Amino acid sequence: MRRGTFALSAALLLYPWLVSGTGSSAFLQDMGANVLLAAVGAAAWNIVGGYAGQISVGHAMFFGTGAYLPLLVFHHWQLPPVVGVPAGIAVSLVIAVLIGFPTLRLLGHYFSMATIAVAELLRIIVSNWDFAGAAIGVQGPATSRGWWDLIFRSAVPYYYIFLAVLALLLFVAWQMQRSRIGYYLRSIRAGERAARSLGVPVRRYKLYALMLSATFTSLAGSLYALKTGFIDPESGLGILVSVQLVITAALGGAGTLLGPLLGAVILVPLQTATNTWFGGGGTGLTYIIYGGIIVLIARFEPGGLLELWHRHITPRFNRRAQAGDAA
Amino acid sequence: MLLSAENVSKSFGSFKAVAGAGLQVAQGEIVGLIGPNGAGKSTFFNCIAGDFAPSGGRIAFDGNDVTDAPAETHARLGIGRTFQIPATFEDMTILENVMVGAFLRCARRGEARDRALEVIEMTGLKELADQRARSLGTPGRKRLEIARVMATSPRLLLLDEALAGLTPTEVQRAIELVRAIHQSGVTIVIVEHIMEVILNLAQRVIVFNQGRIIAQGKPQDVINDEAVIEAYLGRGHGRKAKQ
Amino acid sequence: MILVQVIVGGLLLGAVYALFSSGLTLIWGMMNFINFAHGEFVMIGMYLAYLVAVAFHGGPFAFSLAAAAGLFVLGAAIYFGLIRAVMRGPMLAQILSTFGLALLLRYAAFWIFSPNVVTLPHSYLSGMINLHGILIRESQLVVGAAAAALTIGMHLLLTRTAIGSQLLAVAEDRNAAMLMGIRPDRMQALAWGLSAASAGIAGALMAISFPFSPEVGGTFALIAFVVVTLGGFGSVPGALLAGLVVGLIQALSAYYFGPIYKDIIVYGLFVALLWFRPQGLLGKA
Repeated sequence: MRRGTFALSAALLLYPWLVSGTGSSAFLQDMGANVLLAAVGAAAWNIVGGYAGQISVGHAMFFGTGAYLPLLVFHHWQLPPVVGVPAGIAVSLVIAVLIGFPTLRLLGHYFSMATIAVAELLRIIVSNWDFAGAAIGVQGPATSRGWWDLIFRSAVPYYYIFLAVLALLLFVAWQMQRSRIGYYLRSIRAGERAARSLGVPVRRYKLYALMLSATFTSLAGSLYALKTGFIDPESGLGILVSVQLVITAALGGAGTLLGPLLGAVILVPLQTATNTWFGGGGTGLTYIIYGGIIVLIARFEPGGLLELWHRHITPRFNRRAQAGDAA
Repeated sequence: MLLSAENVSKSFGSFKAVAGAGLQVAQGEIVGLIGPNGAGKSTFFNCIAGDFAPSGGRIAFDGNDVTDAPAETHARLGIGRTFQIPATFEDMTILENVMVGAFLRCARRGEARDRALEVIEMTGLKELADQRARSLGTPGRKRLEIARVMATSPRLLLLDEALAGLTPTEVQRAIELVRAIHQSGVTIVIVEHIMEVILNLAQRVIVFNQGRIIAQGKPQDVINDEAVIEAYLGRGHGRKAKQ
Repeated sequence: MILVQVIVGGLLLGAVYALFSSGLTLIWGMMNFINFAHGEFVMIGMYLAYLVAVAFHGGPFAFSLAAAAGLFVLGAAIYFGLIRAVMRGPMLAQILSTFGLALLLRYAAFWIFSPNVVTLPHSYLSGMINLHGILIRESQLVVGAAAAALTIGMHLLLTRTAIGSQLLAVAEDRNAAMLMGIRPDRMQALAWGLSAASAGIAGALMAISFPFSPEVGGTFALIAFVVVTLGGFGSVPGALLAGLVVGLIQALSAYYFGPIYKDIIVYGLFVALLWFRPQGLLGKA
């Protein structure tokens, strides 16, 4: 495990340098940044959807909030977008409590339905609200006024910012996993009634998970806005954003630490590829594939690829090791 | 009185599952709850455990009114329970399962782990500690449930048919475990169908039928009670047995 | 007078909401399962109507029938192919299964039919009816009445027929039903077929009056969520009542505040419902 972690960390740290020699270095570095961004969003979703087992299919509401606020802060008051990041988190936390407080005491379906409804509600409101840019959207700074605007021409600085955030998030998740909150969340997911009987304050912990998730998802949205410099109702609050967050975590392995990263490493290049090969029609095909992948995961391996690995590959390693010992 | 349930009733819609049932359990007792299927004993049991809020009556534990309290509160105050159909956390290991229980009393992981290992040792699950719960058979799961709830250091333990479906040997082992738990100072209320268990363990037996308590007393007396025999076998059998 | 027209129109559309929502609540009550692809069933019903109208020059009756039949088969097939398996799995699998299905169906429709908004090639039932000074389009009235009748029919099917009581028996207690000789699998597949068919017919009926595109499934799904929550878990009569209420609220919101508000207010109502009365109008706390 230690060697694997070291190797992975090294690979992640050195990636931009490793691809700098190739012909399409800018493209690859940009894709690397996008992979990390997707991983941050998916890892954030994973806290409430994977660990706590509360399936949100409207997480775009947090992502979009985190994306809009920094750009709005710039658009209306010419402040550096980064100033709007805490505001995005604050609003996201309010939304989290607004949805979570009533629904997390009910059956899981209510929560899931509520997440779709509120995400859509937000999207419609923003689409028709001039202050928020309406359907046109909001732009960030066109040129950098200083380092604090965080406008970089190369993807590499973004890559390292995103990597830092991902590392922080994974550290938080890792600590959480090993602590009481982690055990409690897993127990809630594994069996609420039994968890309750052991004194687990189910509703409170689900709410904590949702709030933590909302915070980091909002942060992911902010990072997206900082990098792309533009947001509109579709790219911030649309259902496809929610889909992306869910599938990225679920494909790799919901409820695992590295599942979201694995999902991002697979899906971001995949999406780039289908968009390139199929051009305009590509988006439709991408989402047909996404839908198919989600159905397959649900039907055959809800634990995602990491679970598949554990079930089929790891026993073989163990058997070989055992045979090796016996010899 | 450690546990005091007075005039408890529970209705589901128009169906009255429990009507006016009362139970007083003193510290250190082992009380058995028996009755035919559908008699209301499980519902009553779940009311004491906090899974259901009773439609009427009062339940007090250790001086606290827990009538409308949720199950989490019952657990925190010291009531532990197992489930009729084992509800272990399948994808978590045995150690992790028990640690969830331990975390009720221990804030830190190290503490919880130590406590869990103690309990696992005491319940004879040591070799299986790192296996996932789903790899256990029913007897193992029942044992795990007991270990898990014992990690919460309950003062009152509610066992819901914890010995159903076990082989005679396993039943013996389970009886020994329950005795050991009782001897460590835990008060026990046990719902059971297996008469041998009740006769072996219970100091006092309560009999349910059709939502009401129809008999109470020492195990020997209760099983010879006319009303009890009728409840199980039907009308007329009570008097026949006396003849 | 305009207001009365708006109210009547809202109620008539509400009846259609009731129809497809009753399918969703049937499954919810029976299997404790929310079908996130239910809106796509409605959308497919609309496109089936389109195909029948364009390829076979059929009328409203023909395409309602086609939608009912087609979706019935699809619903049962989805049960056997997907739902039966995920019911045994974790919550994640259950919710993701129909969520992924919704995505698949929606974008398959995009792929096959293009994202453009379409309408049926002819206008059907286009006459105007004058009821004591209230003007309603013939299509509105016929569609609304048909939807209400079908919803009531669904309720009667469940409560008054042998098949219905078998369905309810499986909903109540699967194992007990098996002991009575009822086959839960068949009953659940039947329920899925009925549920999908109700959505399909509703879609076909709405296609008469409204333009549509592959995206509409999302909006219908949300309306269905609101209606089934308002109407109460598993209750078809509740869905009927709630459907009418939602249709009415939508119409009044659009009338007083503007067309954008019809969705905003309904979704806002949903959130309020979850806070204050999640058991719905008829349910118990």
